[in-house]
Amino acid sequence: MKKLEEKDIKILRGISTGAGIFSLIVALTMLLSIIQLKSFDPLDNPAISSIKEEFDKDPENPVKAEQVRALDLMSRKAYFSSRRQVETGSYLLLAGAAIFILCQRLIAGSEKSIPSLPGERQDQVSGKIRYTKYLAGTVAVLTVAAIISSFMLRSSLPDLSGRNTAKASKEKEKKEDSGRRSAADDFKPDDTNYPFFRGQDGRSIAGGKGYPVEWNGEDGTNIKWKTKVPKNGKSSPVIWKDKIFVTGAEGSDCEVYCLNKNTGEILWSVSASGIPGEPAAPPETDFETGIAASTAATDGKSVCAIFANGNLVCLDMDGNRKWAKNIGTPANVYGYSCSVIMYDGSLIVQFDSNDKVSMMGFDTSSGELKWETLRRGRASWASPVIGTYNGEAQVIINGNPEVTAFNAVTGKELWSIEVLTGDVAPSLALNSKMVYAVTDYARLAAIKPGPGPSIVWQDNMFTSDVSSPVATEDYLFVATGNGDVACYDAVAGDTLWTHYFMDQFYASPIVADEKVYLLDRSGVMHIVKAGPEFEIVAEPPLGEPSDCTPAFSEKNIYVRSRNNIFCISTN
Amino acid sequence: MLAWHAVLFAQDRFPRPEFESGYVYPDHQLPVQRGPVWEYIDLAVLIGALSLASWLALKKRSRQGLVWLSVFSLAYFGFFREGCVCSVGSVQNVALALFNEGYAIPLTALLFFIIPLVFALAFGRVFCAGVCPLGSIQELVGFRPVKLPKAVESVMISIPFVYLGISVLSAATESQFLICRYDPFVGIFRLDAPYTMVIFGALLLLAGIFINRPYCRYLCPYGVLLNIFSRFSQKHLTITPAECINCRLCEDVCPYDAILPSDIVKPVEDPQKERRRFLTYILLIPLFAVAGAVLFSNLSPVFAGLNSNVRLAREIRAEKEDGIIALSKAAIAFKEAGKTENELFQDEINMHQRFRKGSLWLGIFLGISFGLSLVALSTRTRRTGYLPHRGKCYSCGRCFQYCPVQLNNKVSNEKA
Repeated sequence: MKKLEEKDIKILRGISTGAGIFSLIVALTMLLSIIQLKSFDPLDNPAISSIKEEFDKDPENPVKAEQVRALDLMSRKAYFSSRRQVETGSYLLLAGAAIFILCQRLIAGSEKSIPSLPGERQDQVSGKIRYTKYLAGTVAVLTVAAIISSFMLRSSLPDLSGRNTAKASKEKEKKEDSGRRSAADDFKPDDTNYPFFRGQDGRSIAGGKGYPVEWNGEDGTNIKWKTKVPKNGKSSPVIWKDKIFVTGAEGSDCEVYCLNKNTGEILWSVSASGIPGEPAAPPETDFETGIAASTAATDGKSVCAIFANGNLVCLDMDGNRKWAKNIGTPANVYGYSCSVIMYDGSLIVQFDSNDKVSMMGFDTSSGELKWETLRRGRASWASPVIGTYNGEAQVIINGNPEVTAFNAVTGKELWSIEVLTGDVAPSLALNSKMVYAVTDYARLAAIKPGPGPSIVWQDNMFTSDVSSPVATEDYLFVATGNGDVACYDAVAGDTLWTHYFMDQFYASPIVADEKVYLLDRSGVMHIVKAGPEFEIVAEPPLGEPSDCTPAFSEKNIYVRSRNNIFCISTN
Repeated sequence: MLAWHAVLFAQDRFPRPEFESGYVYPDHQLPVQRGPVWEYIDLAVLIGALSLASWLALKKRSRQGLVWLSVFSLAYFGFFREGCVCSVGSVQNVALALFNEGYAIPLTALLFFIIPLVFALAFGRVFCAGVCPLGSIQELVGFRPVKLPKAVESVMISIPFVYLGISVLSAATESQFLICRYDPFVGIFRLDAPYTMVIFGALLLLAGIFINRPYCRYLCPYGVLLNIFSRFSQKHLTITPAECINCRLCEDVCPYDAILPSDIVKPVEDPQKERRRFLTYILLIPLFAVAGAVLFSNLSPVFAGLNSNVRLAREIRAEKEDGIIALSKAAIAFKEAGKTENELFQDEINMHQRFRKGSLWLGIFLGISFGLSLVALSTRTRRTGYLPHRGKCYSCGRCFQYCPVQLNNKVSNEKA
């Protein structure tokens, strides 16, 4: 290459430095644009979401509509102009880098000179011996690394003969026996205690076997007792040992009742009114909801209940008030209906109001608010459920629009996914692998829980509006507000069977003893096999309409109708 | 960085807005299918470029010409043809075709694999000199070369053998094309790649300013084959155009340590000892092969993880046996597809068997390679002049200008 003069080299250095600085600036600008693009999603712009919410409240307002359009257009323009910047920048960077490299090559080429004579000539044999040692050393290191890897990353093969599977099942069973809360979901319903709305952990699965399938509320067949509940309520019964708890309210008078499980005698009734902060008049609610729609919860030490006026009370098992407070009247269009649930000494409240949606955790002993986590979205009427995923106990709620999981102890939000819209009233169904969310006019969705949740399958043929679905490991059952019941393959989402039962379902179906108990609004319990084929077992009538979810305990079924509680028993 | 913007192009998935103004969407524009004519043009360009590189390296001895050829190859095979088809990646197509009857290798891929090897047999590694786009981009940025310590160099050059073996194993078992997946420069050529790969490519280029051709030297799996074929080349680039005068001026100029010095110094070692060492290494080759086979057979479960079905089966089993929820997209899709777990596990077992067999051969290949390297290091050929190492030399022509024989000729020509 022709040697350049000092002046030319200076010019080249100047161009090269300029090109280098230019490339650096372009690279930094691109980097900023990329960061901006990564952090900004025009489809999920909080400003647009907020103005859209306002527009939803006032859909006829043309000014609001224009604002939404203008902001949406601006947001998209900003996004695409950032992308164009990155695109243009890459070509500029390419050009800058090419000029930089060209100048540097020319400078380096010009600087080349005949090398000086190297030092003393090396002995070739000793050089090769040295190479041999290096090579042998490298191979030795690689061999050791390979041996270590082969042991550390060893993976056993599946045993299709079933021996390993059997061993694994035994280990799983052992793990289940060792404690209630282990790394895996070890849900095992109790056959005596039925502590929350839809039973243990709110999953609609009852423990125990031998539940009655034949009764008649009109002629008293297999009706062990029937007790009138003093005040109205849509709350369902919960059970701890030999006590049943329900709530009722009329006007501003809210009460908690305890009944003897064996005789139906009302053991005590405690007022849940007159609490500081309570509104002077009860909030307006839909006739179907009322003031006492939320089911009480118990853990054997306390029984806690919430009412639509925001009164939250916690009693001991003998009816003595431990604490009570008003947490603010949840204002929503149908009336508050979220039931409370308990976990490890905490009372968990899903507070859904037009003004605020949040999750709260109260100490059941003192009533102290341990945590509160604000949520996004709008009020719903569903209740929280408890599941264990990734070794963590989670309170999961069916919100609008997000299904969200919170740490059951700290209340910290763990994961969330947008699923539903509209009026969300059915609670979630769970099994060890998936969470199922449904509401009418939206969809039924199977969600893979955990960080980065995803919708595995969905369907919009059978969607319930009030009744919550129930899931076993293999099947999902949905009872709709127009009388249809559908059974889905819980894993794949295939519809296995459907049946039209003529009457609506508000009560949530319960799976007990391999059967599904579906109570329709007229009071007829449709009992079907919890299997892949539709097989009706019996359809006993209660004789009174009911919208409450039945409770199951020690071979007896407890159903609350409009006015009474029934104990159904064959013993 | 250059390719990041294109990564974002791939995310152009806005749902269509619903206009009330009566706006009519334009028709979809579908790209025209790539015609086979380009494949023939690619082959013609490859053969033309290889012929030109051979002429420039062996006959014309023009470093300048080779640099300009690199610029052309980078522009054509790199940016214009977007790095595909490439000879480096074609190794995998060949491996897949050899071990899977169901796969018909495209003729272009086969020829892109064979032709550079044929040229290597005839003229040395002229493909690396100025035809390979991966080599070209590194060659052009390598303007401040430094030599690495020999210890480091000797350790690093063993990596491509392992990478080649694992890549062939992965392709032969229908698992994945590792070389393409981890090609550090294709993202720059296409302006489309995961940003981690773009960063990897950019770092290699930055390192390549000083450590010339880092990918070619310490990673390129096709380079292993070219290295072997080039050792048997009919003709090869020479440092000096005439007889070497042993001036030693070229001794340290090759950044790739590919210049073999003349062997005119009397050997200091006892020839008997040398012979014994040579024989020992020859006899040890089968032992190395067996050791490699045992070692890599043991590693086969690790390699089996390259296969997506094996990874999926492991995830599903972990869920089934340990309660660790399978959350990957593959696991979710599997559950939706309705395939039974036993079918999946049977696939896993079959794949393990294939990997075990393949790993065994990989171990034998590496064991023999190691043994032959030791044998090569224990032999001594008499050289009266400085020669390029036929396996390691990239035929880049950097050494031409340092040879005074050529300079003297030029001077005498000019005087004449």
